[in-house]
Amino acid sequence: MSKARELLRRIVVLGDGPLGVLTAVALRRALPSTETIVIALPPDPAAFAERFGTALPFTNRLHDRLRISEGDLVRRAGASHRLVMRYFGGGEGGQQGAAGYGAAIDPAMKTAFAREWGGGPRSAETVAPPRSLGEVLAAAGRFAAPSGEANSPLADLDYALRWNVPSYRALLIGVAQQLGIHHERRRVHGIVPNGERGVAALTVEGADEIDADFFVDCSGSGAMLLSKLPGAEWIDLNRELPSRILAIGAPSEGVLALEDRLTLTTAGWRWEVGGRDGRLAVLALARQTADGDIAIALGSEPVGFVSFWPGRARSPWIGNVVALGDAAARIEPLGGIAQDLAHRQLGLLLELLPGRTIDPAERAEFNRRCALMIDRACDWLAAHYAAPAAAALFPGLERSPFLTRTLDQFGRRGRLPFAEEAPMLVQEFGAMLHALGLPQGEGPLAAAGAAAGETAARAFEARAAQALQATPRYGEWMQRVLAG
Amino acid sequence: MSAAALAKLLGPLVTVTLVESEDIGIVGVGEATLPHIRGFVERLGIDEAEFMQATHATFKLGIDFRDFGRIGESYVHPFGTFGEEAAGVPFHHYWLELERRGMAEAIGNYSLAVTAALAGKFRPPTIDGTLTSTYGYAYQFDATLFGPFLRENATGKLGVERIEGKVVEVRQDPESGDIAALVLESGRAIEGDLFVDCSGFRSLLLGDTLGEAWEDWSPWLPCDRAAALPCAHATQDFAPLTSAIAMPAGWRWRIPLQHRMGNGYVFSSQFVSEDEACAAISKAVDGEPMADPRVLRFRAGRRSKSWNRNVIAVGLSSGFLEPLESTSLYLSQMAITYLIELFPIDGLIDPRDRDEFNRLVDMEYDRVRDFLILHFHATTRDDSEFWNHVRTMQVPATLAEKMALWRETGRVEKYSDGLFYDASWIAVYIGQGVWPERHDPRAQLPQPAQVMRAMEGLRDAIAREVAAMPGHRAFLTANAHRLAAAT
Repeated sequence: MSKARELLRRIVVLGDGPLGVLTAVALRRALPSTETIVIALPPDPAAFAERFGTALPFTNRLHDRLRISEGDLVRRAGASHRLVMRYFGGGEGGQQGAAGYGAAIDPAMKTAFAREWGGGPRSAETVAPPRSLGEVLAAAGRFAAPSGEANSPLADLDYALRWNVPSYRALLIGVAQQLGIHHERRRVHGIVPNGERGVAALTVEGADEIDADFFVDCSGSGAMLLSKLPGAEWIDLNRELPSRILAIGAPSEGVLALEDRLTLTTAGWRWEVGGRDGRLAVLALARQTADGDIAIALGSEPVGFVSFWPGRARSPWIGNVVALGDAAARIEPLGGIAQDLAHRQLGLLLELLPGRTIDPAERAEFNRRCALMIDRACDWLAAHYAAPAAAALFPGLERSPFLTRTLDQFGRRGRLPFAEEAPMLVQEFGAMLHALGLPQGEGPLAAAGAAAGETAARAFEARAAQALQATPRYGEWMQRVLAG
Repeated sequence: MSAAALAKLLGPLVTVTLVESEDIGIVGVGEATLPHIRGFVERLGIDEAEFMQATHATFKLGIDFRDFGRIGESYVHPFGTFGEEAAGVPFHHYWLELERRGMAEAIGNYSLAVTAALAGKFRPPTIDGTLTSTYGYAYQFDATLFGPFLRENATGKLGVERIEGKVVEVRQDPESGDIAALVLESGRAIEGDLFVDCSGFRSLLLGDTLGEAWEDWSPWLPCDRAAALPCAHATQDFAPLTSAIAMPAGWRWRIPLQHRMGNGYVFSSQFVSEDEACAAISKAVDGEPMADPRVLRFRAGRRSKSWNRNVIAVGLSSGFLEPLESTSLYLSQMAITYLIELFPIDGLIDPRDRDEFNRLVDMEYDRVRDFLILHFHATTRDDSEFWNHVRTMQVPATLAEKMALWRETGRVEKYSDGLFYDASWIAVYIGQGVWPERHDPRAQLPQPAQVMRAMEGLRDAIAREVAAMPGHRAFLTANAHRLAAAT
């Protein structure tokens, strides 16, 4: 018979950036009787998992679960909605394309085969070029949050949020205060080992110690706790990802937009995030570039540079310390992937939350799944450098066996293999490859099912027309939400 | 299945020729399936009621396992879930907490599929997200009728050419080694670009001709024989369940069809002779035997590659796993699905597609293998040499890791591809008495009485739904009447 398991008595979260505070809120919600302490740290400029105010759709579900309402994010944290990421220059001759989110990308056309033949939600051939409901709405400047009704025209629509980082952090701090989370501002001097490859306490100024059963390292790229533990080891991702420096542009005036942009320049990928409280451009430098050329590629004079070295912790959970965000994986933030990854790691921690006794198998399962998450996020980024024009500009990059197989299958057959713990649905990944200008092949299934593809395309057009009719202009919708 | 699906999906692009001989019998002795088969039948454009009547099919809500973990104990592995997650914690952790406090009822009481199956009731599930959509169903049918039914569909409606005859020679291209043609007794040679080997255990093309290596799993799955014995129904009514009942040297199945009960003793010849097994199954059946016991021979394992050169093996020619979890047709169906997804472009086989097919098929077989081994290994039985062997054997590392995670924490290793997810593993672990040392600490947070009330509410809601369902036989009869009225 299963025995009672003692609840964690005290948790310390190292790092009070948005990820640290969100983590503390999540843990406190999950364990209301457990004391939760967040320890302040100076901001880390290379904390890509929290520095840029946007992620992917998973974060919306995490916010819902933590009772952080989208309405509050819109009203108090400057949140706005991204339906698509528009890509420029990945393919030949000024090619551009948009990639949306959710199963609303051709559900009938892209995944119906395996599902309907009893195979579940896995790989399938694409029988027509991807279309996205998000793209249709973004092009028309229309939006409404899906109602949740199964048969509504927006039922399968999904989106990502952007937000104002300081306001978002302030909102989270407000929630944390309501939950009774303690904010410790004294400086951390060191750790006291617990003799079991973990941490017994942190020493803070004033010669005090803060002991806890469980420590969460949200300290950013330095991994201040994890890196001090015996057995901490980093795996380089530098053979797959070329960027070592981010150039950051000056924030400009805010905009209400339903799409963000990724543009391939001769220096690397430029990411433009259009928030209501300000727009931001970031350039992931993928080669040595003269200052003047950086400004041209970025679209403005850079106001800062951040160096980083892509890699991941072999075991993000060692002893009683688990690392999240940049403390576990240092990857480019393009498209919100770094923050998405951090939030999915947090979701995994909530799923496998331990008691005071931490079981090795639980830790191993977290590390197994976390490694898959990071590797697939790395593949997601590496796919950007596999776009035809990017591959010509930045040759010689390695690709994981999974990405190699994916690109091969997509290019020859229009098919995408399923991946466990991937950051995106198969449909979303396919739409992104298409938007990146990667040629999409067609297998016999598509050729044989051409008529079915046409039928599905007509059905999609009808649904898109319904969706357009059912949604107001984004500005009108936003006004209504802001008015409460 | 292969010919029908290829013709249906790739019809305009391929010519499908089905070569078979009436002289070679069908191995199937009554076939229990998984819910995936419904999608396959539906997509072939086959009407469910017509199909069920033609194959004497019944409905199935799960498998009733008896005497596996311990003699006298039983559980149902349902096609459905147990309870609902609350506050991010899966249901079974709350159940484990109540169990620890001595307050839990059988976990099956919180599964609509289990409760309905044990009550002998059936009604198709809804898709509205309510309690009545928390289960699925499959079929149990006469395998000797299923093949001919599909054949008629394939030849009559889908344009498959059927050629009757025994293959006496397989010709290979002298340069490439690919299969070039099959030569029949009549002397007729049938050429093809691609050959799908559905020749069963013999594996005529992949095994016999191409010599593809066999990966032997009998150290983990030692059963290598089955003694099959159909009998008449002993009672008018029967539950929508397949039964798997542990025996001293293996286990026996009990599959209710409309017109008879399929029975068979799957055993290991290391531990019991064929004669003893036949005597045992004759004694065990509860209806009038309709034939003498028939012994089938097999071995557990799979080919190293299921697609080699221009031959794709589907079903028994690719691998064999005993029918303990009714996975045989599922594994065939998956191989067919992958073949269609990866079908050669412009007739040219790309080694990368072949590798992808083999990777996927291997993943499917390996996951099913681990799940089957669990049923034998997770036991306290020490009443026979067979059970002593399987209880003490070293299991594959992949299974050992899954079991360690469960034993330490009550958690199930997560994957989303392949077969058997959380509910299946939980059913077997708990059903066979594999108790975790600990469970999620958050299950202690709500007051036990509050959890108990919530569970009682769910149990009562399930009981009400089941009470309103028709009996399995009554539903089948109504179905047959509907079909008769329609035709």
